[in-house]
Amino acid sequence: MNRFRPSGVWVFILRRLLLGIVVLILVSFLVFLATQALPGDPARAILGRSATPASLAALRRQLHLDQPVISQYWTWVTGLLHGNLGRSLAAQEPVTTLLSPRLVNSAVLVAIAAVLSIPLSIAIGAWAAFKREKVFDTVSSNLLLVLAALPEFVVAVVLVIFFATTVFHVLPAISTVAPGSRPWNNWTALVLPILTLVIAVAPYVARIMRASMIEVLESDYVEMARLKGLPERTVLLRHALPNALGPVFQVIALNLAYLAGGIIVVEFVFNYTGIGSAIQEAVINHDLPVIQALAMLIAAVYVVLNLLADVATILVTPRLRTRL
Amino acid sequence: MADVTRRQLFAGTAGLAVVGGLAAACGSSSSPGTSSISVGGKPKRGGNFRLGVTGGGSKDIMDGQNIITKPDQARLVSAFETLLLFDENYQLTSNGLAESVTQDNPNQYTIRLRQGIEFQNGKTMTADDVIYSFQRIGTKGNGLTGYAATATMDIAGLKKLDKYTVRLPLKTPDSTVPQTLGSYTFTVVPVGYQAYPHPQIGTGAYKLTSFSPGQQSVHQRNPNYWRSGEPYFDTVTITDFSDSTAQVNGLLGGQIDAMTDLPPSQVKVVQARGLGALVSKTGGWLPICMAIDMPPFDDARVRQAMRLIVDRQGMLEQVASGYGFIGNDLYAPFDPGYDHALPQRQQDIAQAKSLLKAAGHANLSVDLHTTNGAAGMVETATVFANQAQAAGVKINVLNDPNYYGNQYLKLAFSIDFWGTRAYLNQVQQGSLPNSPYNETHWPPKSGTGSNFESLYNQALATTDPATRIAIEHEMQQTEYNIGGYIIPFFGGLIDGYSTKVKGLKPSKGTLNLDSFGHGYRTIWFG
Repeated sequence: MNRFRPSGVWVFILRRLLLGIVVLILVSFLVFLATQALPGDPARAILGRSATPASLAALRRQLHLDQPVISQYWTWVTGLLHGNLGRSLAAQEPVTTLLSPRLVNSAVLVAIAAVLSIPLSIAIGAWAAFKREKVFDTVSSNLLLVLAALPEFVVAVVLVIFFATTVFHVLPAISTVAPGSRPWNNWTALVLPILTLVIAVAPYVARIMRASMIEVLESDYVEMARLKGLPERTVLLRHALPNALGPVFQVIALNLAYLAGGIIVVEFVFNYTGIGSAIQEAVINHDLPVIQALAMLIAAVYVVLNLLADVATILVTPRLRTRL
Repeated sequence: MADVTRRQLFAGTAGLAVVGGLAAACGSSSSPGTSSISVGGKPKRGGNFRLGVTGGGSKDIMDGQNIITKPDQARLVSAFETLLLFDENYQLTSNGLAESVTQDNPNQYTIRLRQGIEFQNGKTMTADDVIYSFQRIGTKGNGLTGYAATATMDIAGLKKLDKYTVRLPLKTPDSTVPQTLGSYTFTVVPVGYQAYPHPQIGTGAYKLTSFSPGQQSVHQRNPNYWRSGEPYFDTVTITDFSDSTAQVNGLLGGQIDAMTDLPPSQVKVVQARGLGALVSKTGGWLPICMAIDMPPFDDARVRQAMRLIVDRQGMLEQVASGYGFIGNDLYAPFDPGYDHALPQRQQDIAQAKSLLKAAGHANLSVDLHTTNGAAGMVETATVFANQAQAAGVKINVLNDPNYYGNQYLKLAFSIDFWGTRAYLNQVQQGSLPNSPYNETHWPPKSGTGSNFESLYNQALATTDPATRIAIEHEMQQTEYNIGGYIIPFFGGLIDGYSTKVKGLKPSKGTLNLDSFGHGYRTIWFG
């Protein structure tokens, strides 16, 4: 009996990918319509108070703001398919040129935060469940509850006060990535933003892991495994852990997707050069191509992470994967 | 060092203004000792000066004659210089690129350049560069900051008299030309100059080595700088910050050496940690603007009532934490022509009420538009709304993120911001029918005050300072009585700096940090 049919999984992935594309097309409609509905004149927003009638007229001409909306959408979507996201209205350079270094910087933050926080929170959650209502569980559960209640902004400010400005002076208070350099060239500057993100994500994942693990540990098959006389280690790692992970993947995916947008606050506090500050600024400037590109990007991150979480859940859940 | 006020500039009966004589009198004025004697002792060479500036973004530009954002100002002054120079008391001096600027007659100036000044690429600065610079600013399509100020200049008639002398003819008389030549965007650029990404070559103390809009720029010491000994830093690094929280943290943590626009609430925090707060009482102002041709402000009694509602001292305390001085609804307080004789306007709620009643607006309710533009614009509106309750006036504060969109300059009641300017220059920018930023729609088309523009033109054409000041006083009296501005106070600029930075002095100029340490050349690490 073939319990694991790869072709089934591939068909599933393919189906989900196609569905994801449909979602992104719908998102592109919404994004475009929403950005068009923003009130005001981008040329004015860009030039601000120092706008003169002459410079305004010059900028409006350059930006082709006089074209009809439909043709603007068509130009944008076809450009999107060719990997051409248009030109930033404010920076006067291609959106890809403007965003790619920032995208790398933000991805580095999120990736390192994920790599650190996922195993850590799974380990903490699993261990707390295993030592249920012992000291470790009580302490970690309460601490995680407190941390989960704190907004990232507060976490970041407290970390800065403690490590950078007031108590100790061991780490930089700001994490500006100099143009042309990479975040890891100045790794000490990465510590506080990453720590903030880890603290933002880990408590949720750990708490779900603990709940899920407790449920699994009380299940009949774990009881059965123990009664069969399997070593506790084998019971935990081979039988309990994989079954407990299913729901946790969904939470991890949601949290990582949240990070893709929630990183804005962290980048703000540390003056980190990433997409967070780009979003903020693009909204202020009415920089439509940049807003559209970032909205599409974040939507794509959601679609992909959800897909990955579903695939991972299926792979660790025999009941689901045999159904494919 | 002698201050060259505009009065002195035009001393001399034939209208022969001589700035040049002063160059000799203060021959050593460009040496650092004079401008920085108050703090820090003998200047030292070396170091990387790291400055954090808010207010920028990907729309940052680098153009020797134009700015959009505040970091643009910080970058412009590193590489580009003006013909005349304002000192820290906002008095015009001849310490700039010109040895002298003389008004030969009401319709003509002669500019004599300092000899032997080289651009950063080694080319000598000559009359051709000055002519190109004026032409570039005077071309409407270029959309440069200084364009409006060239309205009176006959740009096409500019004439090179010799290698270092330029004749500037005027279309109409304009006694404010020297002020214009001292404005920080009215710089001299070499022939053929274009904005970034073209090479940025000026006469300034630092040469641009890298620039990423919205992020960072690095500037390298110009070894051939014409003022001997200056500048002191090896490099200057200017970083954009999106918010003052990170900026203050960076200053406290030692990642930057100075920052612009320290929030007033942070002054004590920063000082308690052994860092410096540079408090400059500039002539910057946040007017409450009433359009004199739009109801209910088309009735002068309503405008007068609004002015009597303001508790100026209270507003200064609440909006600017007391950093500044109260205003009298007139701008340009440092101008020699400022009318100090007009009585200080005080809060008078009873009088305001009776004026409103007489005008038929006993229970006035009106929208006041504002935005998070310059610091304090929103606070000014909310504090004023609070104060107005006492007079039974209901003010709805509308904080519009798109304030500088299509409605700007078309609103009956709004808050705006302005920097330091001389009186007539300010009138030209904001109080004439063809001014680029006339929020109050001043002057009136008929009746009292309708002669405002002709008075302005008379003042421009008058070379005798006493006569001109008399005309300026007449203009100010009209504005004081029936104008559209409420000017509750003149704010200051507060900047933060590490105490290892020496040579910074409070300044009355428009720009932060003592005009960014006079283009980063009069400051150093102690």
